[in-house]
Amino acid sequence: MKNVLLSTRDLKKIYGKRDSKFEALKGIDLDIQTGESVAIIGKSGSGKSTLMHLLALLDQPTEGTIKLNGKVTSKLKQRRLNRLRNKEFGFVFQSFFMNSNDTVLNNVILPLKIAGVRRKERRRRAMEALKIVELEDKAKNKANDLSGGQKQRVCIARAIVNNPKVIFADEPTGNLDSATGAKIEELLFGLNRDKGITLIVVTHDEELAEKCSRQIRIADGQVVEDDKGIAKHDPSFIEDANADGMRDENHTKEIEVEEQ
Amino acid sequence: MRVLDIIHDANANLWRSKLRSFLTILAIFVGSFTIILNSAINAGVNDFMDKQIDNMGGDGYLEMMPTEMYESAMNMMGNNGPQEYTEDKDNSNASSYIKDDQIEKAKKIDGIKVFNVLPNSTADYVTSKKTDKRYRININLVVEGISFDMSNGATPNTDKNADYEIAVNEDLAKALGYENVADIVGETIQIAVPNNLKCYTATKRSECQTIVDVKVSGTQAPGILSMGGSRTNLALWNKINEINYKGMPAEMNRSYMATADVEPEKIKDIQKSLEEIGLKAMSVEDEVGMFKTFFDAILIVFNIFGGIALAAASIGIINTLFMAVQERTREIGLDKALGMSNGKVFLSFSAEAIMLGFWGSLFGIIVSYVVGQVANTVATQTFLSDFPTFKLAIFEPLTMISIALVIMFIAFLAGTLPARRASKKNPIDALRYE
Repeated sequence: MKNVLLSTRDLKKIYGKRDSKFEALKGIDLDIQTGESVAIIGKSGSGKSTLMHLLALLDQPTEGTIKLNGKVTSKLKQRRLNRLRNKEFGFVFQSFFMNSNDTVLNNVILPLKIAGVRRKERRRRAMEALKIVELEDKAKNKANDLSGGQKQRVCIARAIVNNPKVIFADEPTGNLDSATGAKIEELLFGLNRDKGITLIVVTHDEELAEKCSRQIRIADGQVVEDDKGIAKHDPSFIEDANADGMRDENHTKEIEVEEQ
Repeated sequence: MRVLDIIHDANANLWRSKLRSFLTILAIFVGSFTIILNSAINAGVNDFMDKQIDNMGGDGYLEMMPTEMYESAMNMMGNNGPQEYTEDKDNSNASSYIKDDQIEKAKKIDGIKVFNVLPNSTADYVTSKKTDKRYRININLVVEGISFDMSNGATPNTDKNADYEIAVNEDLAKALGYENVADIVGETIQIAVPNNLKCYTATKRSECQTIVDVKVSGTQAPGILSMGGSRTNLALWNKINEINYKGMPAEMNRSYMATADVEPEKIKDIQKSLEEIGLKAMSVEDEVGMFKTFFDAILIVFNIFGGIALAAASIGIINTLFMAVQERTREIGLDKALGMSNGKVFLSFSAEAIMLGFWGSLFGIIVSYVVGQVANTVATQTFLSDFPTFKLAIFEPLTMISIALVIMFIAFLAGTLPARRASKKNPIDALRYE
């Protein structure tokens, strides 16, 4: 039986006030299971990045709830959120976000340093992560001296160094040519397949999205297509769902079937 | 995140924009250098003053004269304006002396340990077997209970029945033919003492002088306050007084001076009590006070300069760090996305400010130390050659460390503004920032 890792109900995000008000998300309901690889697809401005930021607990929704492992995250203190992101999440960004003057090793170490892991231990773990992305021989190089594909592999090493449960990848191949992009994809899906790390990819690249086990299409702040839909594993949601009449009977059945 | 990591990263981040950090550190250095050198000179002067005070009898030493005598001396100097004559007051300078009832009352004042009335004693000159020259001599009494800072030998024996002993100034020792001043210790020198009565009628001064053999117990380093005076013990002092007043009525052998060894904490109250019984008492501090006030004023001016430099440097710190926050917006965003708390972000930028202060004050200490040592060497060879015990600049480790800590704290305060801005950054906005 699969567990629901992340779920959202009626998630809304509104930027600005009154006249300049802009509704980026107009009520998103999602359940993401542990071990899934999910593609969130949408054009720029569709709200897919906003959704990812909310799922990654980088931002607070204006309305609605997010549950991580069944716990409502809005009730968590900032410190707990920071620790969750540090321990459970890994991030891969389109434009890498690396400290380009620092060494590859130090870039990979960053999450462990923030966590306060001892010097020796974090070195060991960073080298392990670099081995997975096959860059252990570049550990001492400056991040700036690497190619784009290598940089993204360093970012993946950084994302997995803390043994996360989820990796959020925002256009991970967006800045790469198709050959290097394929290698990055291989790495990410390998991690999903072999280590059971839940993968949440935000992209507008259909090919990349196809390779995920599930595609969620976003347009104008709403889910327009979701091949898996909402699962009713969490009874606490049923009440809410009945109340706002959003529940689709078919979805529930589908998932029940799948689970058997 | 560990504290060591924060400090390490702060330093590494400063290194990333070398020139900018260097200039900011330079600004802090100017302030810290000024303040540190000032405090070293202050310590040097204070140390010198303390040695001088010790040479004059220490913190608990009081010299007294009748108040009316002090006042008429002041009147002569024109300090108090015209004074009206009154019958009830003893207005004659010559007839004011320390009276028996004043001595009795003074001895009862709380905090006075030893009270000495000094009979008048004057000597004409001093000479030695090693020289034909004779030198005028100004003598002071070594009071019981007070020890002096001797450069060679010992303080004269204060026992009433001791041998005649004297401590001389190093310059005098040299003049008396002892090139190596330590050699004079234990030697006998000759002092010519006049008899006041005989000298009224004598045609030649030598006719009324008695030569007294005196043992030199030790030497004193020259100082601005000892003024070349020589210090006799009580036995010699009394002997000189006896020779001075031989054949004269006892009423003429009056004392104008008294000294007291008192508890230093009570010295102000004691001075007040003595004033009430008609004795003007001066502490060593009173006498050194003028000199010190002058020095303090100079140091305050320089410290103000240092303070202004530090204030300007603080603005430099604020500016530097604001630039760093701006430059590292994306980095801050990443750190926060990866779980760094606002507090730690604040701390890491504060650590950078503190490191700026640390390096600025460290260089300040090092450079001012070097400058101080050079100045000490130059000074002892030139304008301070008469005062071998005077070190122009003294560097006390504790003072240096506390100044550095204060500067680092000021740097921290300056850094709070940019650090706060960094900590308030929203990770998403920061990551979007290009």
